[in-house]
Amino acid sequence: MRKNLRFYLALLCAKGTAAGLRLLGRKATNMPGSCAIRLCPDFLGRMPRPTRVIGVTGTNGKTSTSNMVEDMLASCGYDFICNGNGSNVDTGVAAALINHSTLLGKPKKDLAVFELDERSAPRILPYLRPDILLITNIFRDSYKRNAHVEFILDILNRYIPDSTRLILNADDLLCAGIRPENPRVYFGIDRQPDDGDTCRNIVQDVRVCPQCGGKLTWDFVRYHHIGRAHCPACGFASPSPKYRVIFTDPARRTMRVELAGVERELPLPNSSTINVYNSLAAVALLSEFGLPAEKLAAAMDKLAVSETRFNEEKVNGRSLVMHLAKGQNPIACSRAFENARDYPGKKSVLLFLDDFYDATHSVESTPWLYDTDFEFLNDENIASITVAGARHWDVFLRLLMAGVPREKIAHSGDTGRAVELTPTDGVDTVFILYDVFNIRFANGVRDQIRERLKALPPKEETAHED
Amino acid sequence: MKIEILFPEFCNLFGDSGNVRYLRKCLPQAEFVETPLDGVPLFAEDAPALICMSPMSERIQEKVIEKLRPYRSRLRALIDGGTAFLFTGNAVEVLGEYIENEDGSRLEGLGLLPLSAKRDMMHRHNSLFLGSFEGTPVMGYKSQFTTTYPGEGVRGLFQVERGVGLNKKCPFEGVRDHNFFGTYLLGPVLLLNPDFTRALLDILGAQNVPLAFEEDLRGAYAQRLKDFREKM
Ligand SMILES: [Zn+2]
Repeated sequence: MRKNLRFYLALLCAKGTAAGLRLLGRKATNMPGSCAIRLCPDFLGRMPRPTRVIGVTGTNGKTSTSNMVEDMLASCGYDFICNGNGSNVDTGVAAALINHSTLLGKPKKDLAVFELDERSAPRILPYLRPDILLITNIFRDSYKRNAHVEFILDILNRYIPDSTRLILNADDLLCAGIRPENPRVYFGIDRQPDDGDTCRNIVQDVRVCPQCGGKLTWDFVRYHHIGRAHCPACGFASPSPKYRVIFTDPARRTMRVELAGVERELPLPNSSTINVYNSLAAVALLSEFGLPAEKLAAAMDKLAVSETRFNEEKVNGRSLVMHLAKGQNPIACSRAFENARDYPGKKSVLLFLDDFYDATHSVESTPWLYDTDFEFLNDENIASITVAGARHWDVFLRLLMAGVPREKIAHSGDTGRAVELTPTDGVDTVFILYDVFNIRFANGVRDQIRERLKALPPKEETAHED
Repeated sequence: MKIEILFPEFCNLFGDSGNVRYLRKCLPQAEFVETPLDGVPLFAEDAPALICMSPMSERIQEKVIEKLRPYRSRLRALIDGGTAFLFTGNAVEVLGEYIENEDGSRLEGLGLLPLSAKRDMMHRHNSLFLGSFEGTPVMGYKSQFTTTYPGEGVRGLFQVERGVGLNKKCPFEGVRDHNFFGTYLLGPVLLLNPDFTRALLDILGAQNVPLAFEEDLRGAYAQRLKDFREKM
């Protein structure tokens, strides 16, 4: 697409908006992009793109993975454009390009890394034409926005350009089957001790062989449809990953990885399976981008261990854990609940799952609760569960449906009562599961709980398996 | 009592498998038969007390219609004979005359109900619904790609109070034919609406069976009703 007068007007207006925002001391996030796209709907198609464009998309893990990729590229000395501070929809991408362009729109950097919302693919991918696109996984997400996996897959299959090189999850047959004609490599994690032979989740969206529709035989199931399978009828099998984790060693914070046929040890910033996938995906992406293995290992070593989705601290010999549990996303929440169950020791769990925005303006939707594995919270080591927020009755009912004894559950619409309703005596850990929209509130609760834990007599730390 | 769940491996979207999970809690003595898409439906030879089908993707919907087409007259006879059905979300359309795509092409339905649906894949409809069933309030969430147009003689399931019925002009939501209950309401509808669920159990001959977690269901219902009335 060529630049026309309309494009230049939009660019000028966007640049003006960005300059205005800077003068006001505000961060220029999406606004210049929204302004440009409003004036010139095909703005992204007319805006010159950097020489090399990397995209990261998928249902879960795209933010963590692109953050990791950006940190590693930066520590290797690359200078690039990214939308890390903005949004992952078309306006966020446009804003990032505008902010790093000359007055005539020429990009000031040769490389761009964009986190991309999969639902927005029609408005981004045909224009941006990423050279490399990493797809972390495909799962059910918000029903209102993303409907179901077939809908998202259809969008990706339709709008990913023919030339885009794909980096796909070999352990996710929905993801692995995207655009079969495109050049591609896969990443995957070998069978691990916790993997099973059957699915232990409510949602499992790969039911039949993608090739012949016959019954699949699962070699192992990790969670939901993540695992490896083959079809006895037609010979179809999960693809072989070029990048694979053989095993992880959480105590030493390392993982044994095979990169294009060569085995080596790499640092592991966080040992939860989801983070192993994110790290592996970042490694695969950067290897394909051309970073040599030595540089990769050094860059991973420098990655901060801090993880926004999972923060733990010790108070007086007890643990206080903050764990993100994205409301309306049944898979992310199920993973969070399983992590809460598997965390060692006796636990009190707090659930803040309401989307505060939705709860204020509307009645938050409940269907997703029934696709989410609340059953994981029905565990002898979870001593109490506190539910607070607008939909507390619905979550309470869901917990009863999951078999949690009612005497273990306290619930209130008054979030201010969450702390007093949570027993802290006799537990080793307080686990706070919160939706991203109420992080500030959850942090306040954490601070109050911390004070309560401080007031308790110190507890001897019991040895436990990590 | 036998309860048949049609194609649960595919027809399980939007949390609606919760309806059957709740029925299992209410009716622990009942026999629940799950029929896979490549299996023979129980209703072909037997007469289950209730047949359930939950929402599905658009491509599965086409397969389900083809799967059920040979059983058209059997299904009609079961409906006329008073067998209970709970079809939710786009399972309702499967029984209609046709489903129209954006390009005007049509997918022929089973033709058991005088209604048709129109898909609009790029504009998903999301809304809250508040209405009534036999005089008591009913709530639910709608999240769908289709709009449904009932023909002459279609009997609605729920009267619209606030929100949208089968389409924006339709005064009712869902379809009823004898004991066939079809609704687009998600929730799951049985967990959201104790009085409606009670009526369904009564139809199944389970008048003496209490609703599972009845007090909690009613507590949640009262709170939700208040929220729906305030925020809709
Ligand atoms: Zn096969």
